Amino acid sequence: MDKKINLSQLADLMSEAGGMSKVASEQFVKNFFDIISKGVLDEGIVKVKGFGTFKLLQMENRESVNVNTGERFTIEGHQKISFTPDAELKERINKPFSAFETVVITEEQSAELSDVEITKEELPTAESDNEETVRIEEEIGSVETGSVEAESSEAESVEPVVVNKPEAKEPQVKEITQKRGTRILLKIVVYILSLILVACLALYLLWPLVGKALIKSYADKSKPAVETVKPAARESIQVIEEAELEVEEAKPVIEEAKPAVEEAKPLVEEAKPVVQEAKPVVEAPKPVVAEPKPTAANDAQPFNLNQEDQAKALSKFTEADTVNYRIAGRLAVHTIEEGESLTKISNKYYGTKKLWPYLVKYNNLGSSNSLMVGSKINIPRLVAK
Amino acid sequence: MNNKEFLTELSGKCQMSPEVAAGHVQTLIGVMENLWNSGDSVSLSGFGVLEVKKKNERVSVNPTTGIRMLVPPKLVLTYKPSSLLKEKLK
Repeated sequence: MDKKINLSQLADLMSEAGGMSKVASEQFVKNFFDIISKGVLDEGIVKVKGFGTFKLLQMENRESVNVNTGERFTIEGHQKISFTPDAELKERINKPFSAFETVVITEEQSAELSDVEITKEELPTAESDNEETVRIEEEIGSVETGSVEAESSEAESVEPVVVNKPEAKEPQVKEITQKRGTRILLKIVVYILSLILVACLALYLLWPLVGKALIKSYADKSKPAVETVKPAARESIQVIEEAELEVEEAKPVIEEAKPAVEEAKPLVEEAKPVVQEAKPVVEAPKPVVAEPKPTAANDAQPFNLNQEDQAKALSKFTEADTVNYRIAGRLAVHTIEEGESLTKISNKYYGTKKLWPYLVKYNNLGSSNSLMVGSKINIPRLVAK
Repeated sequence: MNNKEFLTELSGKCQMSPEVAAGHVQTLIGVMENLWNSGDSVSLSGFGVLEVKKKNERVSVNPTTGIRMLVPPKLVLTYKPSSLLKEKLK
């Protein structure tokens, strides 16, 4: 196998098969190829029955591009020797693969391919939803490990599919189209994962810019909450200082959260390497990641508030929507229709379900179960305190 | 140069009748075919390399109809001229 046979070895084999002396057969083989090369050079074509045709082809000038520099240059016209084996010889050489036939690819198989392209579009959008949260940095880490793993395992699983056994005498053509199909699927999935990986890396590199902006905007939001707890005591300068300190404090906390994510990685690595499961693997670290966020919020405010105030500030911050309004007259009269509830009405007029208690208060409703279809309730106008 | 001319020249050089030469040519081709079948390549200095290569399966598209075809893998006998012979072409 895979040996290079030279002239003398060929002559030896020839003398064994043809009953010629070694010297004579070597002379014969030498002459055989000499005449072919001489004939090609002198006459441009040599036909040998049972072997094939050697032909001299004239190649025209053509333009090409230097891959390194991008320069265009012309490849000079030249002559080329081509060899076309005899049809019979060709067939005999290809005998191990002769069972294969050219197959027309049907609609179904191409539909299979386009299905994969749809999932490819879904994945990046799911990713971009998360981009605005503080967790993104941690996720990058986990996504990286997940996808890299998936890639390597795919590489392994692709190989056996690629292997074609020349020994196989009667392989099923259909089976080959299927193998081909799965291989293309795998390639596309690998492509998707690498795209995600690149996107995440880009985000990771831009993190110092994006992250600061996010944390600042969070700090701005929490300012009013701090003011409601101790309204008179705070001077505006102090508040600004607080916000800045919060920003700085928040950073180490976020970094602390990293080890937790890294702990999660081994779990992720245990997960199965199969391609279809790559997606769950990527999502798995999220719950773990979610936990550090509240801690970040808690630790961000310890400078001027004691524990109690801090708790209040937090609860006020979360309930801000429901407590911070006062009723100022009537906005509308609403006739209750079938299937409506107070939360639905609240959502309709204020854009949030949370404000339904104001409806109870304004209409003196004892129990929200006593609503009747067709009865009218007043909708209060709400003004922020 | 067709097969007949080739055999005449070969027989003249080896001092044998064209019929005998034709027989030897077939033996030589048979010997080489066995080598190719077992995966070996025939390499002759001053002439080139004759070897069997595996071409992978591929999808080809008919440009006029747009029909996609899966062309099966195949084994092809290839010839690569030696640099010595290429030099003579210039």
